[in-house]
Amino acid sequence: MHRKIEELEKRWYRYKLKMIMIPLSSSIVTAFVGSGGYYIYDKHYIHNKPRTAVLSATKEVVHSEIEPVKVVKVESKDTKKDDSTILLEPIIPVIDLEKEEVVHYVKKSVTKRHTPNTRLVRAKANDYLTAKELSTMGRAERVTTPSKPHIIKRIKLHSTSANYIETMKEKYAHSHSSRDALLLAKAYYKKGAYSEAEGWALRANEINSKLEDSWLMFAKSKAKMGKKQEAINILAKYYTKSKSVKAKALIGQIKTGKI
Amino acid sequence: MKSKFEELKTIFIDSVDKNNYVELESATYNYNILETSLLKPLKMILLYGKPGTGKSMLLNKLYHNLKEHREIHYFDAPILSEKAFLKEIYEAISGQSIPENMRVNFDGLLKYAQSLRDKREVVFLLDECQLYSASLMEKIRLLSDTRVVKFVITLHKTEDEDIIAKEHFKTRIWEVIIMKNVTEDDLQLYLQKKLIKKGFIEVANMIRKKDIKYIHYMTNGNFRETNKYFYTIFDIYEYYEKNNPKKISTKKLSKKILEMAAIKLGYIDA
Repeated sequence: MHRKIEELEKRWYRYKLKMIMIPLSSSIVTAFVGSGGYYIYDKHYIHNKPRTAVLSATKEVVHSEIEPVKVVKVESKDTKKDDSTILLEPIIPVIDLEKEEVVHYVKKSVTKRHTPNTRLVRAKANDYLTAKELSTMGRAERVTTPSKPHIIKRIKLHSTSANYIETMKEKYAHSHSSRDALLLAKAYYKKGAYSEAEGWALRANEINSKLEDSWLMFAKSKAKMGKKQEAINILAKYYTKSKSVKAKALIGQIKTGKI
Repeated sequence: MKSKFEELKTIFIDSVDKNNYVELESATYNYNILETSLLKPLKMILLYGKPGTGKSMLLNKLYHNLKEHREIHYFDAPILSEKAFLKEIYEAISGQSIPENMRVNFDGLLKYAQSLRDKREVVFLLDECQLYSASLMEKIRLLSDTRVVKFVITLHKTEDEDIIAKEHFKTRIWEVIIMKNVTEDDLQLYLQKKLIKKGFIEVANMIRKKDIKYIHYMTNGNFRETNKYFYTIFDIYEYYEKNNPKKISTKKLSKKILEMAAIKLGYIDA
């Protein structure tokens, strides 16, 4: 009992410590993150954004920035009095560094301005020059890269429907796919061999009864062979199952004698 | 001689005793519904709620209040064996005891109950019904159909409530009383009444409103949890009283001890 309560008391002390430490540590973390965020914001956003403003401002005082403290005499133009105001430049290292950078930037731009305006070809990342770049150079300087003769390859296909059917049959013999069977049905239908078309459509349907075209091709072949009622019955059956718009349209076509 | 806190501990030992019953507004309301329902031509009454909401206590109080006036039997612990259950029912109705080597035939019991229709009305109070098997519950239903035997059953909110949810069973339950955890005010009343009843007025006055708020937060206003919590609180007090009395105050409940008890019971993860 004694031990249990003593142990419990220890656990309570740990709990209280935890209760104090959690908000304390979270506030420390928040303060740290906050100050870090402010530093980043200050360093990368504030000092980068008004760069042009800083540049123009520093143009005037660029010579006075080297010494950390300098007495500047400002003469009043309006009053033309001899009284002069003495201004002390603040010694803030961050600002000094920034201004130094700006000075360097200004110098750079000055030297650039004084370079003679020569027509130079800019180096590019790739090896080839554009037409515009080439035009800026003399004819003698023009670099010609050996070009390979452009050969257009053309595959000439000499195929007939008989060839196609035979090829497809061979393909079907290997694949046994409903798609190939359907293509064969369509080929025969186109050729006018409706009986064969019907057979291949049926085969395609046996493999995949959800293949809509197999139903349509089967019915169309039937209709072409004069079995219109049979074709309509098949399509009606398919329509009740699938609500296919194509099937419905085909029924209409068969009924009106378009097929 | 028992110390003050040792005595206080015993008040909060979880037991279904009519002497420990505390009159609360919500409990009285439920009790009145229950008693009124018994007067109506009912088949079954269901007391339904989470463990520790006072179902057993209510059933116990009902039994002690009515046992002098009507035929009422209280099964505080579930009789899981069907044979034993039917035997108890038959013996309670007939007043005859059955030899050990014999058993009650259910059809015979049904016919016997039917023969008593409009002559007698026997009430059975069954606690912890979620432990009964589905087949036994079905027999209870059939017995209640005779309108001679009436059942008041208590049921925990568990997955087994499906038995009750069955349509055919639902129609036979005439009244459903849902028991809930108490509010902060009711919890304060419960603790004060409980302590004052046993003569600990000064301890009752130690419990402030903010303590009640904390206790309610820890126990969700559940009677069983509150009893357990206070048992642990006074157990810790007892230790300090014996070993380090300077650490405890008799004017107000110590927040430290409240938290220590909460850690011990796992309410606080420390």
